[in-house]
Amino acid sequence: MALTITCPICGKRNGYEFRFGGEEKGPRPEEEGLTPEAWCDYVHLNKCVAGVQEEWWCHKDGCGSWFKIHRDTTTNLEKEIKTVIEEAGK
Amino acid sequence: MFSKNKPMWGKKPPLKSSYDVVIIGGGLHSLATAYYLTKEYGITDIAIIEKNYIGFGGAGRNTAIVRANQRTQYNVPLYKEALDLWPVLTKDLDYNLMFNNCGNLNLMHSEAAMKAARMTIATAQFHGVESHLIDAKQAKELVPALNISEDITFPIHGAMFHPPGGVLRHDAVVWGLARAAAAKGVQIHQQTEALGIGTQNGKVASVTTSRGAINTKQVLISAGGYSAALIYDMLGIKLPISVLTIQAMVTQPLKPVLDHVVSSGAYHCYANQTLKGEIATGAHMDPWPNYTTLNTAHYIKHQAEALSEFLPCLRGVRFMRIWGGLADMTPDMAPIMDGNEQVEGFFMDCGWGYFGFKSCSAVGKYMAQFMATNQCPDMLKPFALKRYQEHRLMGETAALVNYTPDN
Repeated sequence: MALTITCPICGKRNGYEFRFGGEEKGPRPEEEGLTPEAWCDYVHLNKCVAGVQEEWWCHKDGCGSWFKIHRDTTTNLEKEIKTVIEEAGK
Repeated sequence: MFSKNKPMWGKKPPLKSSYDVVIIGGGLHSLATAYYLTKEYGITDIAIIEKNYIGFGGAGRNTAIVRANQRTQYNVPLYKEALDLWPVLTKDLDYNLMFNNCGNLNLMHSEAAMKAARMTIATAQFHGVESHLIDAKQAKELVPALNISEDITFPIHGAMFHPPGGVLRHDAVVWGLARAAAAKGVQIHQQTEALGIGTQNGKVASVTTSRGAINTKQVLISAGGYSAALIYDMLGIKLPISVLTIQAMVTQPLKPVLDHVVSSGAYHCYANQTLKGEIATGAHMDPWPNYTTLNTAHYIKHQAEALSEFLPCLRGVRFMRIWGGLADMTPDMAPIMDGNEQVEGFFMDCGWGYFGFKSCSAVGKYMAQFMATNQCPDMLKPFALKRYQEHRLMGETAALVNYTPDN
């Protein structure tokens, strides 16, 4: 269950320094025309992937920055996966 | 476990190509549902599909504590019925479930916690569940090993004493239910992985497994911590669930020292002494979702620190075994039971977090009613998935817990 997380500022640190910030769900939905379904989806619903997922973390006992990583939930190991946007920017 | 000899609950049947009901997951909720489907409704053409072996998940990993001192008017009657069913099941299953209703002592460490306990106790008493508020001195009389001095991290202000709760041998419940269900014709298929659910015109039509396809009109997913991933994977239904590892451990056997279940929210620690003499104790959940059941030095240290503060006689006692299980937590700490809503013929029973064991008897009874009649029993209506959309979250948490950004 040991976990290390790589903070973009502080580097690889013990997982207990961080706060899990949820699955990556895209941008917050627009207020206009917002349905209870869409809001519930954004606030509460998860995919609970058993495998690699993209997720948010906050380095709460460190620099305090928020960032995203990919992690395999079945092994607790970080995965280096470049996002489509990063790839396109190259 | 998988020996060539037949399992104690009956012979290994070949997988048929169709069943009336398919249940994914071989844990207590599945076994209890199958048992009540046979017993109360005469539905016996049931397959239980278990990837590993029955009782592999939460059913065999919990700390065996049962109680009915939850917080809301929807939950308390369900857990009360579950508690009342253990002596009944012991007789009906003709299996010694080793129910020891030694009582639960839930320690309170602040005046705010005492206030919260007063409300919980009022709810319990209203629903006919015995529960009392006691002060620190009375708690010490009940459990002389307690440290009620003020020089610990969280001094004990008092406790919520719930005499009808206690402990129950979890493996015995698995085996007893499996034997009784199998005797009525339920087929338990271990080492069989459910891979998908096929639908036709918005209705359940089949279940694909690692050993072939099964035609069925009704399927229940009650696979404990694995339910949410399976339900999303098979049907694309997202759930308000975070799956977290929860760790537990036992000490070396000791002479009798603790004759109640003692728990503390502030210390994130609960402990009871097994009939063998070990102190079985559990911890808080790891603060990030994962599907490992691994242990960490972090929690071994945490348990040792907590126990040696409020039960100082345990200082120097060694932990002998340690394990982990999965808790599928919802934002309101109440479960999700639903059926015929998202897909006709599809039922789900999940989101139990760390309450799955203590609820299984009553939930099996009501899920069986739900599946047999296709009508949601009144008892289960408040637990529908829709409540999250409708902002009707249950107040099962007295104080917000910090395990997901959801709360």
